[in-house]
Amino acid sequence: MAVRQAQAQPARRALLAFTIAAAGSAWLAGCKGIAALGPVPGVPGDVRTLEQAIAAEEALVMLYKGATGQLPRTAAVIAAIGAEHEAHLSHLRARLILPPRLARTKIAPSSGMPSLPADRAGVLGALAAQERAAAVRLTGQLADAPAGLAKLLASISASEAAHVVYLRRAGSS
Amino acid sequence: MVRSGKQALVAALQSALTAEEAASYGYGVVGAHLTGTEFNLAATDCAIHERARDTLFAMITALGATPAPAAVAYRLPLVVSTPREAASLATDLELGVVAGYLDLTGAGDRALRKLAATRMQEAAVRAAHWGGSPQAFPGLATPR
Repeated sequence: MAVRQAQAQPARRALLAFTIAAAGSAWLAGCKGIAALGPVPGVPGDVRTLEQAIAAEEALVMLYKGATGQLPRTAAVIAAIGAEHEAHLSHLRARLILPPRLARTKIAPSSGMPSLPADRAGVLGALAAQERAAAVRLTGQLADAPAGLAKLLASISASEAAHVVYLRRAGSS
Repeated sequence: MVRSGKQALVAALQSALTAEEAASYGYGVVGAHLTGTEFNLAATDCAIHERARDTLFAMITALGATPAPAAVAYRLPLVVSTPREAASLATDLELGVVAGYLDLTGAGDRALRKLAATRMQEAAVRAAHWGGSPQAFPGLATPR
């Protein structure tokens, strides 16, 4: 639905602009001109939510790729969780289809994404902290999302909350 | 058939209630096969589900609907005769609770959606503690 809305807006704006232009310059002189259209509509909230969720998952995927080489003893767990983040990313990306003109500049995943510590316990702790933060962030985002997207975000948040347990277990083995 | 907002909310609450009722029943079986620390953990988890069940019951009643009554007995997904099987059942029960709250994350007001998501996260964490494996989309049969 977000896609439909996003695609419908430029068409509507184009139609309105055409109608006003056709009315002629004499008419335009006595009115506000293009300002009568009001502000250009912003990106719909659900699209913004999706973009933020995608940026966060991209950052997590990168983080796990970075951790893979650092933790040979727990490589299997790191790979399994990293693969789940890639699955999350894939399903989130599949929901966002925008015409190039509306595609926004990619959001930089710089919201507190740390560089990983050098020691094993530090790496696992940093990953667990990011998983916890991701679950909390998604909980806030899904509260305003359309039902279908909210369910997907809730499922991903549950997956990420559980990752903390697997990371802790890997740290104690 | 298109459901009204209230009907959809009541249906989502009923789904969560059914899952909590099943978990409350199932943990009785889980606990019967455990001892010591694991028994205490099962008792704690059982109490969590009973409290959640009672909360959902009150929410549904407050909406003017009739809460789905608990079944006398539930068909368990596996036969339990060892501590390991008991832990496996606990994992299944928790994943059932994750699925039970899913519809509620897309219904109701912001607070209710957040509550449902938090309950899903907590149940997924308990499933992992009981020996579950990582799942990319818990509660969703097929991600849409």
